[in-house]
Amino acid sequence: MTTQRAEAAPGPAIDIRFGQVGLIQVLIWTTDPGAILDELTGRVATAPKFFQRTAVSIDLGPLGREPSVQEMQGVLDAVRRAGMCPVGLASGAAVAQALSEPLDLPLLPPFREFHPPAEAGARARRETPRPQPQPEDGTLAQLHAHPVRSGQRVYARGRDLVVTAMVGAGAELIADGCVHVYGALRGRAVAGARGETGARVFCQDFHAELVSIAGVFRVFETLPPELAGKPVQAWLDGDALRFERLGA
Amino acid sequence: MTEIIVVTSGKGGVGKTTTSASMACGLARRGKRVAVIDFDIGLRNLDLIMGCERRVVYDFVNVINGDCTLKQALIKDKRLETLHVLAASQTRDKDALTEDGVRRVLDELIADAFDYIICDSPAGIEKGAHLAMYFADRAVVVVNPEISSVRDSDRILGLLASKTHRAANGNGGVKEHLLLTRYNPRRVANGEMLSVEDVKEILGLDVIGVVPESPDVLAASNAGVPVILSDTSDAAVAYHDAVARLLGEELPLRFLDEPKRGFFARMFGG
Repeated sequence: MTTQRAEAAPGPAIDIRFGQVGLIQVLIWTTDPGAILDELTGRVATAPKFFQRTAVSIDLGPLGREPSVQEMQGVLDAVRRAGMCPVGLASGAAVAQALSEPLDLPLLPPFREFHPPAEAGARARRETPRPQPQPEDGTLAQLHAHPVRSGQRVYARGRDLVVTAMVGAGAELIADGCVHVYGALRGRAVAGARGETGARVFCQDFHAELVSIAGVFRVFETLPPELAGKPVQAWLDGDALRFERLGA
Repeated sequence: MTEIIVVTSGKGGVGKTTTSASMACGLARRGKRVAVIDFDIGLRNLDLIMGCERRVVYDFVNVINGDCTLKQALIKDKRLETLHVLAASQTRDKDALTEDGVRRVLDELIADAFDYIICDSPAGIEKGAHLAMYFADRAVVVVNPEISSVRDSDRILGLLASKTHRAANGNGGVKEHLLLTRYNPRRVANGEMLSVEDVKEILGLDVIGVVPESPDVLAASNAGVPVILSDTSDAAVAYHDAVARLLGEELPLRFLDEPKRGFFARMFGG
């Protein structure tokens, strides 16, 4: 009855909406199906419910070469046997383009462009699932001219965030691009929230509790005296977050 | 034109009710018709500070529930004839307040041509505090010169900027003022307390008054006489100044220094 009424109703047959969902990225270092299956079943066993029939994107970035269609078939089989559902291919370069059609998987932007890690410890941090920032057309920075108070959160989607007032302790600024604060920054600043490693944080009067760029963060339990109250910028240098006094 | 002023802070025990009572008295003394409402349902205190606790028959929740008329519940102050108190209910909890009910009571007070409605907010950021600030035109944020109070005030200021009727309807937002209480210049000088300048800088707002720490405040509360009415007290003078500034007068801040050091020199000397 309900179905009939819904079908009879005038109006559009479908709606197309833009939405975002978190997607697990499987970064592959090899195309050896046995090695992949071993490692995946090991990981899945730690949280079987979480990974069962989970949509995943296969990121070819770490591989550093273009695998053949046959090799990728083996990889996809291994991933499926581990209980996950591959829904797309991701790669920083154009290598995945040629694979997309024969494998019948869409191309997705990678979480962030892959660089070989400088040290082994960096690998774990990279596996945070995050989609790449979508380039949006004609987006200026998002301007926020009022104080950002404790407990408030301001998010600039796909662009820079410019705050021309103070940011209180316990407040959060989040931008997919850079964060600029023309005032005191006492709260948290998160730049490159969707993995943009080139994002930076700038502020006029540095008292931040936490600064994060593309998932690499630093907590300031005590402020370094050379930064406290100074105009400061922060950027990501490889895996290290760097801070520098501006105009020094 | 009625102005609704919320007295709020986030943190408890900083002097919201003392401030509400004194500001209401100060405005009434200047001939304004004032209603002061206790929003702290279940922890009724304003009536004690105002010294009318034995005259509470009906309360705010009774009016909202239609158990009585607003006229029956408003308690006329014995000292100032233009001052009225609406007490909180002691036997209910905060869920007894509804947005619609609060709106009806405020609308009735506005229709009755009150000049000022002072809403004495409970501590916290939950329903009672939310409804106390929701319809406000102005806010007096009471803050003690210490970091946890300042942090909570920052939080409240954030809510004032986002979770009020004015914010929701884009009417220019709620006008915000800071009022420092329990200010002790000696302890500020010793670095045990934040200074007025520190608080102003952290919260980025101007200060409408600085009430010095004074034993008169507790004595006044115990006596049921709002401290602003004990004229010889520094705290009373400070509240009178704050009321004057609320009404648009420009006065220098007092009691920022220990008496012997001469505050005028500091105020005017830069």
